[in-house]
Amino acid sequence: MATLEIEGKVFDVDGDGFLTDPSLWNRQVAILFAKHDGIEELTDNHWAIVNIIRRNFEEKGNAPMIRTICQETGLKLREIYELFPLGPARGACKVAGLPKPDGCV
Amino acid sequence: MNKIPDLKIKDSKLLTHLNACVKCGLCADSCMFYKTFYTPDFIPATKVALVSSVYRRYNTMAGRFVPALVGAEDLDEKMAEKMVDLLFGACTMCGRCVKHCSVGVDIAYVVRKGREMLAQMDLVPKSLQATVDAAVQSGNNMSIPEDEFSGTIGWMEDELKDDLEDNDASIPLNMKGKRIFYTLNPREPKFFPLSISAMAKIFYAAGESWTLSSKYYDVTNYGFFNGNSEEAATIAKNLHDEVVKLDASTLVLGECGHGSRANRWEAPNYLNKAYEFEMTTAVELIAAYIKDGKIRLDKSANKDIVTIHDPCNLVRNGGLLNEIRFVVNSAAESINEMSPFGNDNFCCGGGGGLLAMSEFNDRRIKAGEIKADQIRKSGAKVVVTPCHNCVDQLTQLNHTYKLGVKIKTIAELVADALIIEKNL
Repeated sequence: MATLEIEGKVFDVDGDGFLTDPSLWNRQVAILFAKHDGIEELTDNHWAIVNIIRRNFEEKGNAPMIRTICQETGLKLREIYELFPLGPARGACKVAGLPKPDGCV
Repeated sequence: MNKIPDLKIKDSKLLTHLNACVKCGLCADSCMFYKTFYTPDFIPATKVALVSSVYRRYNTMAGRFVPALVGAEDLDEKMAEKMVDLLFGACTMCGRCVKHCSVGVDIAYVVRKGREMLAQMDLVPKSLQATVDAAVQSGNNMSIPEDEFSGTIGWMEDELKDDLEDNDASIPLNMKGKRIFYTLNPREPKFFPLSISAMAKIFYAAGESWTLSSKYYDVTNYGFFNGNSEEAATIAKNLHDEVVKLDASTLVLGECGHGSRANRWEAPNYLNKAYEFEMTTAVELIAAYIKDGKIRLDKSANKDIVTIHDPCNLVRNGGLLNEIRFVVNSAAESINEMSPFGNDNFCCGGGGGLLAMSEFNDRRIKAGEIKADQIRKSGAKVVVTPCHNCVDQLTQLNHTYKLGVKIKTIAELVADALIIEKNL
């Protein structure tokens, strides 16, 4: 178990910096985690992605396919990679407070 | 304490290699973990000595009766913890030390045997085991449901038709009797599908007869890393049986280092049989297309300087040094090699299943600084590598060490340079 301190707030995270308890997530957590990864401001497009990931997690217990994110936000793949330079998993899912997905991510 | 495994190991290769190490120390400087942290325990020979001391304790007369005299140690809780830390958390089984070993000890093999002992004691790091469990239970290491996979492929197919302005362009699923059965890393359909469309575009240009399976398409086999040979065999068998079921003549292993090695060089041993079909990698297939004139490339589409990251299991441990360079040279205008490069290149730092193990994240990123420096010094703007695991580690290094480069798979580089002949 590791901890991550961002702007004076301390979070329990796994070794990869993903929130240990996803139920502690809120918008403020998203803003702080994004800052920690170098995203100074979450735009509407960032939020659209984060909200879909969060909803999918709450309904199905995992991250959505990138196709779902693209189709529901109307964003192109390359736009998503630009918004979250660490990618949908290590970038967007982390900001959305999900556990780290298994596999090569 | 977990149960002590049955360590009466009858493995002549292990025995030979454990006895061969002369502790000369040449391996130290080849290991990225030792070079990063300068912790004596991280020296590859120390890892060999660790496995050796446990082996001696349970497999030799002297070790059983007078262990202290022969440096034999109990596999107790403290020892197990140390082994997990060193064999899972400070070794990517990249084999760079093997190449530099003065007597040719297969250190990565010894490490795998040590992992097998730990696997018998249920001491595999949780996040790595979760990846294996997902593959065994669902057929792919990210537990992607079949309908979501098929939906994604359909979506990529529509994009491909638009992109190529050809309604006949396709990404075939579950077709029987095709020449090629292609495989993917599940991270492609889940999060990074551009490499799927890149490969589909190459198949299109080459006029290939190919298919994907919607059930068993996963090229990875983390059973190769967690030390559980039964699980490795189950995963390998699923893919093998699916290729037979779809009656394809060649299994093409997608851009994945360990997956290529596990399926091509290890799996026939797991299953104790010769495979009924041919096996090759995406890189070799693309190289053949270029040589045979089946695809034509316009290098000027890739003007930025490219450097090549050599995946350990494809180059040092897989022999594809020249094939990768032939393809990249055919698709890009200029290449600056890393130093060192090729068989002596450093691991990305995320091999051996380490990328999947959250437990060792900080160490992995720190050890990866060697790779980050290599990339920076190459002066390249694009890093190309035929391994999705490497791609992910390199993406993190790019971000952490602010390298400002693009990371691409070989198929992506080649697809960007493809000259598509329109059938008029």
